[in-house]
Amino acid sequence: MKKFVVMLIAFALLVSVLPASAQATEITWWAFPTFATIDETSGKYEQSLIDAFQEANPDITVKLEMIDFQSGPEKIVTAIEGGTAPDVLFDAPGRIIDYGKNGKLADLNDLFTDEFKADVGNENIIASCSDGENYYMYPLSTAPFLMAVNKTVLEEEGLLEMVNMEGERLWTTDEFTALNAALAEKGYMNSIVFCQNQGGDQGTRAYIMNLFSAQLVNPELTEWTINSEAGIKALQYTVDEVAAGNLTDGITYNGGGAIEQFVAGTVTGTLLWSPGLAKNNADAVSASGFEAVALPLPSDDGTPELEYLVNGFAVFDNGDAAKIDAAKKFITFLTDDPVYGPQNVLATNAFPVRASFGDLYPGNEDMAFYASMTKYYGAYYNTIDGFAAMRPAWWGNLQAALTGEKSAEEALNDFVADANAAYAAAQ
Amino acid sequence: MQANKFMTMRQANQREAITAYLFLLPALIFFFVFVIFPIGQGIYTSFFNYTMKDFNWVGLGNYIELFQDSVFLKSLGNTILLVVAAVPFIVVFSIFASVTLYEKSAWIRSLFRGIFYLPVVTGTVSVTVVWKWIFDPLTGILNYVLKDAGIITRNINWLGDKRFALWAIALVLFTTSVGQPIILFIAALGNLDRSQVEAAEIDGANRAQVFRYVEWPGILPTTLYVVVITTINSFQCFSLIQLLTSGGPNYNTSTIMYQVYETAFRLNRYGYANAMGVILAVFIVIFSTVQFRLFNSQIDY
Repeated sequence: MKKFVVMLIAFALLVSVLPASAQATEITWWAFPTFATIDETSGKYEQSLIDAFQEANPDITVKLEMIDFQSGPEKIVTAIEGGTAPDVLFDAPGRIIDYGKNGKLADLNDLFTDEFKADVGNENIIASCSDGENYYMYPLSTAPFLMAVNKTVLEEEGLLEMVNMEGERLWTTDEFTALNAALAEKGYMNSIVFCQNQGGDQGTRAYIMNLFSAQLVNPELTEWTINSEAGIKALQYTVDEVAAGNLTDGITYNGGGAIEQFVAGTVTGTLLWSPGLAKNNADAVSASGFEAVALPLPSDDGTPELEYLVNGFAVFDNGDAAKIDAAKKFITFLTDDPVYGPQNVLATNAFPVRASFGDLYPGNEDMAFYASMTKYYGAYYNTIDGFAAMRPAWWGNLQAALTGEKSAEEALNDFVADANAAYAAAQ
Repeated sequence: MQANKFMTMRQANQREAITAYLFLLPALIFFFVFVIFPIGQGIYTSFFNYTMKDFNWVGLGNYIELFQDSVFLKSLGNTILLVVAAVPFIVVFSIFASVTLYEKSAWIRSLFRGIFYLPVVTGTVSVTVVWKWIFDPLTGILNYVLKDAGIITRNINWLGDKRFALWAIALVLFTTSVGQPIILFIAALGNLDRSQVEAAEIDGANRAQVFRYVEWPGILPTTLYVVVITTINSFQCFSLIQLLTSGGPNYNTSTIMYQVYETAFRLNRYGYANAMGVILAVFIVIFSTVQFRLFNSQIDY
């Protein structure tokens, strides 16, 4: 017994004097299901990345926890307030920068080297990773948000020539109007103007903004400005088109629900689409017996200004420098490793933020089209102060306009007042 | 000698009390940690501007803001309307169904008890998703059936039209809430002294009179319980709103519980959300107190 106690003490002493590097640092990674799955098993792909990382870095142990888009954000907030936040999170700037602004994240300024910025070569993407002072998200991939239509229906009804299928497929609001009217006349239900909640609400903001080239925010990203003449005209147009049956009332649908109806073939278009959505819904679209074709959002001048997705990693500041270092090592492995970096980009079905990764989809015409859309990226406003409070103001007022409780002008004036108040309150 | 005996009895009583408290201790610890402490914390933080970043004393600031917040006031109105509309229907239907079923054969009673209880064991989320499909404005079966029957000529957006949305929620709330009361009422009817019912029938009482003068007094304590619990559950209606309407259209189906969730987890305004929770608790206490007073005056324990 005495011998055992002595050995135990000796072991404890040995462990305590070992260099830090010899002891495994344990970090936790919370992942939304953004990456493509292996064998349709959630988390299997992520675990394979961890295994590869741990093999190369035996001094770091990574624990994985998969979270879903429905309850995940709530879980993160609860964990932050309870002091049990993860060390690494894979998400988008909207939430990440908010956590950063509130002092919950470790800054990643040291990762944004001149070499990295030059490789990304896109100021909007770089800016989306920062709150203006510090970088909080290390980006991996990006993809544009577009719309899509049911090409098969257009072919069957002889309406395909109403859509520009050449090159970048740019089209105008007049062409969009004419197509919807023609389809409605043939008894079809068209794109859903979804606004049940904030799910996919970036789609309707971009749609309204583009119709008559209204500006959602000022160039300094300090003031919401969609209640301009062009914005009001766009919302009134939408209300009128819904009332005429050329577009579909979406008060009871969010972005996901609207996409489901498109994928099921119930409606002929969707105002929200992306390469990732196209891939995830490819089987369902095929089962519904039609071909979906992505299009840029229509605008009066035929030049869209698109919303886009940026995926990236954040590191929580849990008060342990060793964990922060380990977490940074882990996220650079996932994004910069010459093998796993490009592989992870492919798993998101998006495009690399690093130009040096090259064309990851050689010969893929669809992805080439999506890639051609990245030049139409607009200003990234998801990191504006008060962004979270702006969102209910958006879909709430969109609902009010569609139900007729507010005129288009009243709805947008109220939206701008609420969104600007949220901005001011967050200063 | 007498003093010694007294001390011994006192000690024995003390020991008994200590033993009792020790047995109660695990439950009390659980109750204080997971009920009393969060309630206290919720009330305490409702006086703060408590966000992810700040924790500043604002006194009654949150409460003053609440009563100037049109969304909160609308949600409060919707919540009360939902309670006032749904609870009487749930209670009356449950009593009616229980009294009717109680007289049926055992297997019919079991069958319908199972049918009514099915939504309770199925889970609110699953049932609500089915209702969402039923109400779907484009593909829902409700519009299909009503159009086929010639009752409507074009699809109605049941959850998106403010004239119908809250009533659609009330209907779903009704279907998910009647199972438990029916079970309780059938059990309460089973506990009644049937000889009293038979005596009343022999004396010439009709069915309505038997219910009014024999069964109703007997199930009154159960009714009080059902009314209070159903009221509290209706006040706390959240998942139906989240899954069916997200509070829309234009906050016409938003409830206080839903706003508590939105404010805390979407806007990260925890103090403000807690103030909403306190107001909700106050309303529940007021409603419950009134119900207890009204029923207690009639209950003969």
